[in-house]
Order: sequence, then structure tokens, then C-alpha cells
Amino acid sequence: MNLRPAAILRGYALILLAVAATFGLHASSGGAATRPTVESVAQGLTCQCGCGLTVANCNHPNCEFAVPARAQIAKMISRGMTRVQIIAFFRKKYGDKILSAPPAQGFNLLAWTMPFIALAAGGALIMLLLERWRRATPSLPSGSEAVAERLPVTDPKLREKLEKEIREQF
Amino acid sequence: MPNLGELALAVALLLAIYSILANLYGARNNRADVLQSARHALWAMTVMVALAAISLWMGLLTSDFSLAYVAEHSSRSLSDFYKFTALWGGQEGSMLFWTLLLSIFTSIAAYQNRTRNPEIAPYALAVLGAVAVFFLGMLNFVTPPFLLLAHRPPDGADLNPLLQNYWMAIHPPSLYTGYVSTTVPFAFGAAALITGKLDDTWIRTTRRWAIFSWFFLTLGNLFGARWAYEVLGWGGYWAWDPVENAAFMPWLVMTAYLHSVMIQERKDMLKVWNLALIGLAFALTLFGTFITRSGVISSVHSFTQSGLGPYFLSFVIGVVVMYTALLIYRVPDLRSPAEFESYLSREAAFLFNNLILVGIAFAVFWGTIFPILSEAVRGVKITVGPPFFNKVNGPLALALVFLMGVGPLIAWRRMTVKNLLRVFAAPAVLGVATGVALFALAGLRQWYVLTAGSLVGFVAGTILAEFRRGVVARRHIVNETVPRAVANLISKNNRRYGGYIIHIGVLIAFVGIIGSSFFKTQVKRTVKQGQSFAVGPYQIKYLGLTTADTPHMASATARIEVLENGREIALMDPARVFYKAPQQPATQVAIRSTPLNDLYVVLAGIDDGGLVTFQVFLTPLVLWLWAGGLVMALGTVVAMWPNVRERAAIAQALKAQRGEDEELAADIARGTD
Repeated sequence: MNLRPAAILRGYALILLAVAATFGLHASSGGAATRPTVESVAQGLTCQCGCGLTVANCNHPNCEFAVPARAQIAKMISRGMTRVQIIAFFRKKYGDKILSAPPAQGFNLLAWTMPFIALAAGGALIMLLLERWRRATPSLPSGSEAVAERLPVTDPKLREKLEKEIREQF
Repeated sequence: MPNLGELALAVALLLAIYSILANLYGARNNRADVLQSARHALWAMTVMVALAAISLWMGLLTSDFSLAYVAEHSSRSLSDFYKFTALWGGQEGSMLFWTLLLSIFTSIAAYQNRTRNPEIAPYALAVLGAVAVFFLGMLNFVTPPFLLLAHRPPDGADLNPLLQNYWMAIHPPSLYTGYVSTTVPFAFGAAALITGKLDDTWIRTTRRWAIFSWFFLTLGNLFGARWAYEVLGWGGYWAWDPVENAAFMPWLVMTAYLHSVMIQERKDMLKVWNLALIGLAFALTLFGTFITRSGVISSVHSFTQSGLGPYFLSFVIGVVVMYTALLIYRVPDLRSPAEFESYLSREAAFLFNNLILVGIAFAVFWGTIFPILSEAVRGVKITVGPPFFNKVNGPLALALVFLMGVGPLIAWRRMTVKNLLRVFAAPAVLGVATGVALFALAGLRQWYVLTAGSLVGFVAGTILAEFRRGVVARRHIVNETVPRAVANLISKNNRRYGGYIIHIGVLIAFVGIIGSSFFKTQVKRTVKQGQSFAVGPYQIKYLGLTTADTPHMASATARIEVLENGREIALMDPARVFYKAPQQPATQVAIRSTPLNDLYVVLAGIDDGGLVTFQVFLTPLVLWLWAGGLVMALGTVVAMWPNVRERAAIAQALKAQRGEDEELAADIARGTD
């Protein structure tokens, strides 16, 4: 049985869509309803000391930014604030640059979507190319591969040649 | 000595310029003597660069603080080992080190091709010479390593404490070796474009260089991760820092390249694509260096600000524009009769593997430069950090792992659905079983972890099936034991099975990455001497503090006892260190690794009242990442190993090429893949 190329094309399109949808789901699942930890909140904020790491990961033992920020996050969590609320607080105070990833809105939407647009475009290009090549390639008669597999090799000369090839292959 | 180094660099620049002219003139006018002179010039250039490097090393080892570089990057009390590694610890020295590697690789390529590839080798060497001219130009005019200070300071400012670590001694050399060695395949690709000799000679000639480069890029990335893990003290090994990204991108593109050249060698397709990939890989190594040195993007790796940025950017742009123009110019000659029958074929699987790899590289690139874009377009500073890269690359990594299982087993040309089911049934069952086991037995619920686990099971199944097939075939023909059959299988087809071993390594590393990213826990406690606290299944007891003082640094080391079920299993010594010359504090973490998990202890604070604060990370499966890296390295060595059969075939082909046996030549061309 051979699937028609159109069906396979649709299959690929479906896979692509599924991946994109999964991504969307994944990306939007940021604000979990469970009680946040200092770590989970601090991962969402960039340290402003110049280390380039997140507040959770800043490696300066006495960092003037990360250490008080972590303490403040802990205090806010104990007051019952959610991750989203705490991050919004820091964003209001320091601006967008405090976020460790840009919010998926406005111009910054470009950051999130571009990789997937590029990927989809690349995928489409490949499929277009493959389709062109496929049409230019004379196909073996349908099912010939399966037939060849079932054919017993009876000719001793051929058998020997085959064995030699297998020996060299493996 | 400094004057000698300066002079050597100037002479090296002149030699590099001469070698370009001689290579071009010699190739155009068929002058073997001129080409020989060009090679000699390149070798002499290497000697000059080595002389410069040696004189800077001498300066470092003898603490000659009249040299600005030595004064800024070492100190009297620094150990000789780190004085030696300080050569790549700063801007000027690391440029010199880069140039040294480039010269050595260029010399080797010149030697390898002294009689081989007479049509393209001179042009490839001219390209290598041109790259050397750029770096030597920088060393002579922009970042001179031998600047003298007007007043010689009594002591140096010391090497950055973060760089005083064992892994830092081997991480930059590995990464630089990987970066710089991409120049050789790139130069041969460019030479193919320049000369119009567009068959796969350039790929075959530089195949080992490409694997060599990939090997060191892999190690460089891993060593860098290991360094970050041990030194930065946040319990992780990868932060999607711009410079980490810069090291990761060429690795991705080289991985794509190593796969897609197989299609060209086998089916004579994708010529344009392979040339584009090697150009991209080379451009990305330069881009990485530009990022590190320009200061346009803030990073833990930033060198001190310098005037290098604009030059590097111009060079990258120049390379990309010229190379792209050449490629476009040659596209009509690069068209080949493409054969393609079905989407269910290895060709298709490889193309999609390339799409995903380059797609990840693009996502990383995009995320890295987006802050610059945002500032340029909107004037708003933003950060694109770990959450972005994890979310975007997470699904792509799954797709890649899936294709890693499909690619090797699917047939060339076309596969019937029936065959597909036959080949993939067992691995698919294994994959699903793994997923179910993780869900039901281990109680895992994260969809990503379950999918990843299933895929790992599936891919492991395909690799096992491939080995099984080979072993059965061998034992059918020659009667041998299973271990012997496996060994013979690998040694006789080292390229193919080396590749499978690399895939096994990737799987092991992937398991490590998943385990350590999803299940890391941490505890922060302040305790008195004798007190203990729990971390996961362990009890941690603080035994006491010892201090030490040397001319180089002062340190305070806490001794802790780790207990499991009331039994002592380890003693650990996390410490805080104060480096005297730069007046910088640092932490020295203590790590206890087992295949199951890593206990990672940071001495986070010492109170005057005898209280100490520990930050403890319990991270599962980190060891798997390093083990996987080791297996990948092993597989690469297997794949690179000179194959006796292959060599015999090449020798025969050369003999045949000389007209002794044309039929044989045709046979060999068909028979070797």
C-alpha cells in the first residue's frame, strides 16, 4: 500500500499545526494557579546588576539587586500574591527590561512568532521543492520493493553475490 | 621579548598577505614553484604567530608587568597553571590564541594539500590566508597584545576569579578549536565556488575537518556548561546567555551540515544547501566572537569594551555578502538532477532534520539579537532570557529527537507503509511502554516529560534494532560471538556505527537535561554548628568552619556531613573565597554526583554570630548530561577513525584515477559511500 503524496502532505501540515498548537498551549501556561516559589518567580525576572542572568541565577554572593529582590519576592509570596501579580509589580517599577522574556504582545509578539513563522516557511519551501523533484523522478512500478523482498534468491551465483554484499555492508 | 612578539606579528601579517597573492598567482599561471612558496609563507607565518604566543606566555610566566596584558590578567601569586591559561583570559591574548590555532590549521591544510586537489587547494589556502590577514590585522592595529605600560606596577590585577577554574583552562581551547577549524571546510567550499569546481571534492577533502570541528564544538559547549555549573553557583549549567548561544549556534549548523553532506555524497543533491550551511557555520563562529567582544549585548562573558566590535561586524558582513554573491552566481552550475520519490524516505527525513536544526539555530539567533532590534525599533530595552529559549526550543527538541529515530532506519528513495510498520513497530512499542511506565510507575504528569521519555524509548529502540540487524547479518555469514560481532560491525563501518554511538550519547544527554530541568529542588537554610536540615532524602549536618589565608586569597570552608537513613554517605566542603588582588569574593561549590542525582551545596553566607547559610540544590540526572557528552565524543572518535577499507578504496581510486583502470574507478565510485 502506498499513501498518496497529497495525503502525506496533509499529514505533514497536520503535524506542523499540532506542533504550533502545542507550542501555543505551552507558552500560555505560564501563570500556574499553584502557590509560587521564590525560584519560579525569580526565574521570570532579569537581574539588573549587569550579570545578565535571572534574579534566581545571579551568581554574585552579595548582589545589590538579586539578594533584596529575592527577599522581597519571598515577602510578597507570604502575603499571598500570585506569580503574575509579583512580576507585574516588578515590571511597573523597572519597565519591560526586568522581564526575563518579553511579554507576548505588541512588537514583542514578533520575538515569539518569528521562529515558528520561519520554520513553517522553511517547511513549506522544502515540501515545494520535494514536490517538484518527485514529479521529475521516474517512479519504480508500485509495489516493486515489496515484491523484491519476497522473491527467494535461487540462482547460486546471485546468492553468492548477495552474501558478499551483505558481508561488506555489515 | 615583547618587542620580539610585536615584530613577529608584523612579519606574520606580511607573510599572510604574500601567501594570498602567491596562491592566486600560482594557481592562475600554473606555477608549482610559486604555490610552494605560498605554502612556505603560511608555514613561516605559523612560526611567527607561535613566536608571538610564546613571548606572551613568557611574559605571563615571568610576571613581566611592564606588559599591559600581563598586568591586567595575572598577578604574582597566581599559580603557573593559571598564568599559562591567562593567555586566553583576556581580549588581546585570546585573539592571539585564536590566530595561533588558525595558523596551525592553515598550515596543516597546506601540508595535506601540497599535491592533492591542485585545482581548488590554492584558492582555499588563499581564503584561509585572508581570514588570517583579518585576525593579524586586528592584532597589529586594534588589539595589540604587547602594549607596554609607562610605569611598571609592583603586582598585576590578577586573572578574573571566575576564570581560575580547571574547566576554564580547557573550555576556551576546545571551543576555539571547534570555531577555528570550521574555517577549513568553509575555505574549501569558498574555493569550490570561486573556481567552479563544484563536485563534492571540497566536501570529501574536508570531511574529517568538519567532524573534527564538530567534536570540539561539542566538547567546548559541554566544558562550558560544566564550568558554569561548578563556578557560577546557581545550580544550573546553561542560562541561554548570548555567548552560550553563540557557541551553540555553530554546533547546530555543523550538525545539520554533517547530516546533509551525506545526501550529497550519496545522491549528488543539495549542493547549494551544503555550501550555504558551511558558510553559515563559519559566519556564526565570527558572529559569536563579535558578540563576546563588542559589548553590544550584556553577558557574563563580556570582555572589556574595545574597538573590535565594528571591525568584526564589518568582517562578518563582508564574508556573508561575498559568499552569498558567489553562491548565487554559481547556482545555475550547482543544479543537479535531483531524485526524489517519496516523503517516506531518508532523504525527506534528513531534510526535515536540517529544517529543525537550522530552525533551532534561527530561534536562538533571533532571541539573541531581539533585544538589539527592540532597542533600535522602539527604543525599549528588553531582555530575552531562559523562559523564551526553553519555550521556543522545547517542542523543536522533541521533533529533532523523533527524527533522530526515524532517519537512520528509514530507507533511501522510498519506503512502503508495510515496511515502515515492520521496521518501526518494535521501537514504537518500546516508546509507548516507556511513556506508560513513566506515567504509571514513576507517577510523572508533565506532558513534556512524558513525550520526551516516550521519544527516548522509541529512538533507543531504533538504534538497538539497527545494531541487532547488523549483528544477526554478521552472525549469519561469519560464525562469531555477539560481542565480537558488535565490535566487528563498528570497526568495519565506523562512520555509520560511530554515528549511532553519537546518537546514543545525545539520548543520554537529553535524559540528563530533562531530569535536571524539570525536577530540580532547592533548599536554603541558616544553621548553627551541629544543626542539621533535610534536603530530599538526605540530612545535612553542619560540622564547622575553617579558614585559610594565602597571599593569593583568603577562604572560609564549611564542613558538612551528608546522611542518608542515618548513615553518613559523604563529607562536603563548600567554601567562600576572597581573591585579594582584584578584591573580589567568590563561592566554591561542593558537588556530590551520583547517577541518580547531584547534591550541590553553596556556602551562601557567613554570619558574625557563627550562623552560616547554605543553599542546597538537589538535581536529578545531571551526571547523564556529562556521560552523554562522553559517549558523543567517543562516537565521534569512532566515526573519525581512519578506516582501513576506506583507505584501501581511496588508494585504489587514486591508482585508477591515474588511468590504470577506469573500470575499477567507476566501480569504486559506486561502491564507497
